Amino acid sequence: MNVNYFLNVLIPMLKGGIITLTVFTATIGLSIPLGFVVTLMVMGKVKPLKAVAEFYIYVLRGTPLLLQLMFVYYGLPILPVIGQYFVFDRLTAACIAFVLNYAAYFAEIFRGGLLSIDKGQYEATKVLGLNRFQTMIKVVIPQMIRVSLPSVSNETITLVKDTALITVIGVTEILHYAKTAVNRDANNFAFLVAAMLYLLINFVLTVVFKKLEKSYDF
Amino acid sequence: MTPMIKVNNLHKKFGDVEVLKGIDFEVNKGDVIAVIGSSGSGKSTLLRCLIDLETADVGDIVIEGQYLMKNGTYGAPAEVRKIIGKMGMVFQHFNLFPHLNVRDNLELAPKMVKKSKKMQLLKRVEEQLKEVGLADKIDCMPSTLSGGEKQRVAIARALMMDPDILLFDEPTSALDPELTGEVLNVIQKLANNKMTMMVVTHEMAFARKVANKVLFMSDGVILEEGLPEKIFENPQNNRTKEFLCNYMQD
Repeated sequence: MNVNYFLNVLIPMLKGGIITLTVFTATIGLSIPLGFVVTLMVMGKVKPLKAVAEFYIYVLRGTPLLLQLMFVYYGLPILPVIGQYFVFDRLTAACIAFVLNYAAYFAEIFRGGLLSIDKGQYEATKVLGLNRFQTMIKVVIPQMIRVSLPSVSNETITLVKDTALITVIGVTEILHYAKTAVNRDANNFAFLVAAMLYLLINFVLTVVFKKLEKSYDF
Repeated sequence: MTPMIKVNNLHKKFGDVEVLKGIDFEVNKGDVIAVIGSSGSGKSTLLRCLIDLETADVGDIVIEGQYLMKNGTYGAPAEVRKIIGKMGMVFQHFNLFPHLNVRDNLELAPKMVKKSKKMQLLKRVEEQLKEVGLADKIDCMPSTLSGGEKQRVAIARALMMDPDILLFDEPTSALDPELTGEVLNVIQKLANNKMTMMVVTHEMAFARKVANKVLFMSDGVILEEGLPEKIFENPQNNRTKEFLCNYMQD
């Protein structure tokens, strides 16, 4: 084992790491707002929207992420008539599947956060004259975030590891390069390096979420 | 002079249970009304109907000459919001915003609703906290305050909106007995300043000392009302006698 071999394995894997982080960032950035919208639909009073949102959560949580991933990349393009509008490159397909899947989980986490807020908070804002939007932004969401943070943190770490699934639709992320190196050299070392990279990302996330939780400790 | 609050024939049901069975009363400017009665008699529901936290079914509610509800029908939401804006409310469980410090708790509504200027607002917050004896707590989080302090902050928060009428829903019921005094003193001070108030309470001594009128509620109706001396020393109704008797034994 020498430094050259280590670099030989590591450098392509770092390239894969950029892809992994791309999927991760896109998923966090888009699935959290989408999840919150789904929460509002589920909690809202408009019956059809509520039904749609509940069905969405049921399907996306109730089927394997791997299946959803394959469906978006391989399945959508061969749908009759509309399939031609759903042809995505590998990375885009991966991001779409992850955003849709994680939004369903975040929606349920946020719903739990909203349910934990005392009815008295809404009554206080009402008698003080705040409208619904002001109540949401200034009173409800900050309290929801505090309650949701530990679960969001948990989900985020799961997401880092789930990104390894996209190797099955041929996206060249960390695991893809690890597998290639192991097969080529008949040497497990590349798996170890990959594990280290995942642990490093999750170490950073753990620290960030600890800080966030502290800033929301009231 | 128009009464501050006028209620006619107010009825309210929760499902099949009728909680208010025809309530009539008036509150004039500067009145301090104590509402007493056993648990489940409808005191809190009555108070909550006045500020639209509960929707009543039948009757009229008139606040400073404007109908909140007329013949069981409410006005447009904007109208309702304007009318209940004349009142402030203090809750049994304080309902402070736990994620905001004392200053932000007080500033939130004036900033959002009245668009008050920042500098004037801070001055006002300081004054208001001084009034309730908590000037030194301006930067504290609610979780670090005692129950009595929380309730005094809640009163200050309600006063920030300059209400013409303040409603208190059992303001001391969630407090340790030794902390009720500090809250009652603040309410007493407001009464001395001629604030119009309605206080649902189990503090009989306080009701007697501070109120200029007492309503005794039982089973969804006002059974007896009048001057505190009359109610406490010479109650006419047997239910009132019985209720007060139970209290005096405690």
